[in-house]
Amino acid sequence: MTPADAVEGHEQTTESRTVVIRERLAQAGAVALRVCVGTRLGLVVFLGALAFFALYWRIGLFINDSYTLANALVALADGHLWVGEAVYGPGLETPGMVLHEGAYYGRNYGQIVFSLPFLWAFEGLAAVADPGLILSMAWALVIVALGRESGRLLDRPALGASAGVICALGTFAANVAVARPLPPRLFPIVALQVSSMVAAALGVVTLYRLVARIHDRRIGLAAATVTGLATPVAFWASLPKRHVIITALVLGTCYALYRSRLTASPDDLVSPLAFRAITYGLVGLATWIHGGEAFGVFLPLVVVDVSTARSNDPRSLVIVGIALFVSLAPFFVTNVLISGSPLKPPRVLSSFQYLGTGGTTSRTGWGTFVQSMIDGLPPAVAAPVTTVLTRSSVLFGQFFKGAGALVADPGRLYRVFVRGGDIPAVSEANFSQTFYLTVLEAAPVIAGVAGSLAVGAVGAWQFLCESPRAAVTRFWSRVRSRFRLRSRPRSWLAPLNVSPARTVDAFVVALSVSFLLMYISRLPLHAQLTVRYLLPLYPLAVYAMARQASLRRILAAHWRSGLWTWAGGVLVGCQLFVVVVAARSLGRGEAVQVHALVGLAAAGVFAVLAASSVLTERFDRATAVAGGLTAALGTDFLLLSGLVYFQYGQYALPAAGWVADLLATA
Amino acid sequence: MHRSRALLYGAMVVIVTVPVLSGPALGVIDLTTTRLDGVGEGSATVDDVEVSDTARFDRALSSDSYILKVPDARIHVATIEGRPVVGYKISIHEMGYSRETSTILDTGDTGWVSLSLKELTLAPDRIDRQSYAGELKLTLRVNGTSETLYEGNMTVEVSE
Repeated sequence: MTPADAVEGHEQTTESRTVVIRERLAQAGAVALRVCVGTRLGLVVFLGALAFFALYWRIGLFINDSYTLANALVALADGHLWVGEAVYGPGLETPGMVLHEGAYYGRNYGQIVFSLPFLWAFEGLAAVADPGLILSMAWALVIVALGRESGRLLDRPALGASAGVICALGTFAANVAVARPLPPRLFPIVALQVSSMVAAALGVVTLYRLVARIHDRRIGLAAATVTGLATPVAFWASLPKRHVIITALVLGTCYALYRSRLTASPDDLVSPLAFRAITYGLVGLATWIHGGEAFGVFLPLVVVDVSTARSNDPRSLVIVGIALFVSLAPFFVTNVLISGSPLKPPRVLSSFQYLGTGGTTSRTGWGTFVQSMIDGLPPAVAAPVTTVLTRSSVLFGQFFKGAGALVADPGRLYRVFVRGGDIPAVSEANFSQTFYLTVLEAAPVIAGVAGSLAVGAVGAWQFLCESPRAAVTRFWSRVRSRFRLRSRPRSWLAPLNVSPARTVDAFVVALSVSFLLMYISRLPLHAQLTVRYLLPLYPLAVYAMARQASLRRILAAHWRSGLWTWAGGVLVGCQLFVVVVAARSLGRGEAVQVHALVGLAAAGVFAVLAASSVLTERFDRATAVAGGLTAALGTDFLLLSGLVYFQYGQYALPAAGWVADLLATA
Repeated sequence: MHRSRALLYGAMVVIVTVPVLSGPALGVIDLTTTRLDGVGEGSATVDDVEVSDTARFDRALSSDSYILKVPDARIHVATIEGRPVVGYKISIHEMGYSRETSTILDTGDTGWVSLSLKELTLAPDRIDRQSYAGELKLTLRVNGTSETLYEGNMTVEVSE
């Protein structure tokens, strides 16, 4: 071999090595893309959601307990968990901050850690690029990508790319024209907000993927669009609180649960059993953000999963257990670092107000009854009983309390789900302003759930109309077929015979009940705006609508009517709201109530039509129009609340701030 | 296909380059001048002021709270230079209450400029009379000095 050959050979190996590395990188990118967003359409949904959330993104903190998170993030970026300085807010004693052995600590550490890489990325970018323009740049790049991917999806790549480029350059120029500097003090807040928006967008994509797998891509796209553009998920997307991240994890759990029930296919990245492990892993991660809510997801998951799993053999259970334990590790480690005990999260250190602990509880009738029972027992028996009850009341107390509140005052369901208006205790704490919205007022579009309720009612009616004897016989045969027991003696672990989609349905129902029971005793409450405690229920309601056969039929036949009504409702509706609010010079609470009343009226119509769609196809087009209108009212509220009613801090997109200023002077 | 790819990369290069040019490393141009630059500096002559002599406490829509609604004031700016600030303030001494909204004027703002007060919501128990005596004040703030453009009384009526 001559030296020249050797050099050539060497060059060839370097070249082939670069090719290999490039291929590997491309592969890794493709896998990452597939894990996070699934398909190309998933990517479009993700980018679209991000682009939308940023339109009304105000850099700042909306609710005072976010100060806690922001200060804790600053501390963590400095390399310690204790919070030494109140960079934001009036001081360190903001809601959610805990004082433990002389040091202050934040909470929701999962969320804070998730924000950390975003903070580093932003600080890195800010070293070379103008901080005031980074977000405009990122948004423009998202738009470019959105155009490109949409174009490829619609088989019009050139058109998509040019449309994206034109939009991106146009808005970028507008943003640069009115750009303002972004002080470094706000970087951690930007990081918290970006991480929250990314989580929200991932949640929306996950809903798309779930529904697209159960039905088809169009239904999935519709569900994702409605969730991302017309429900409070988008309201809270850029407000860094736990709700959006928990919602995303909940949706991830639903998706993984569904995948764990499918038969393995060679295309899959991981096996159904691995998906089952992921289901629990996501719940474990949720504890790192909010242990109580994670438990509220875990409980229905265990019930639904164990009773419907194809197999509960020791191997599966061990794998699932390991996944859960590993996913709990960050939670445990954080707790040990702060409180010294893996089971004592920061939240527990400050506000430990559950039944039977610490003596600070309000004794309910049930509690007194239990106490009198225990008092009657001999001490040797009473002590362990008390311990068990104390421990379980920490976990289950909220649910009992919720059930008790519902029995004692069922009317609160109306004030949480239907009409809020002026609830004295709530308004008083909301600065005398009526900006409390119920679930239906905040997202009129979920009135479509009435369709699912109608199906249940019709089923029950048909059932009862038969002769009672036949009804009972059929009921038993159905129950027996559902509970088809295995021949093996370990029958308590025998699975029910339930389809994958039905499994998710059951989980969604159980999860909604769990969240409702967890929070209903505290609702209605101030500073909720859109009943944020129940935020996961909004996408779950959209899921329920997507599972509704008659609504799917309407969507397939009349999606154009719905879409155009939505577009018109957004373009015209926003202007009408602005005009009404300006002409009558309505205050903030009043403006929100205008949205509430209009939304409620439209929701009523949509609910009736959606319910009727179960029985007749005659009103299908009208139902599509009503659905589009309710969705538009949801979008109107998102945009106007972001650009007009709730202004705080500078806008991430300076041009949006310019529009907001214009609307403020109108 | 080739052309659209060139377009795509061209646009991305532009979008990425501009913030870098304006960034701390290069700093060729500064595109993000703060809006507060020069605020309160300059001069202005105001030759006419129009204010309302009544304001209202209205019941809020679908709630018992009251909303203070003060009509916009208008000032006629004859000449302007820089970015002076105009304060529009209402005080209701009987309630121990006052509120001021500042408006930044800009070089183009000659002629009639209207100033509005941010709306305020009060709990129902704060209001216990038919009307209150209010005081309006318009102040021009330039170069650290302040000049009173208008000072006068107004009646704040409570409408049921």
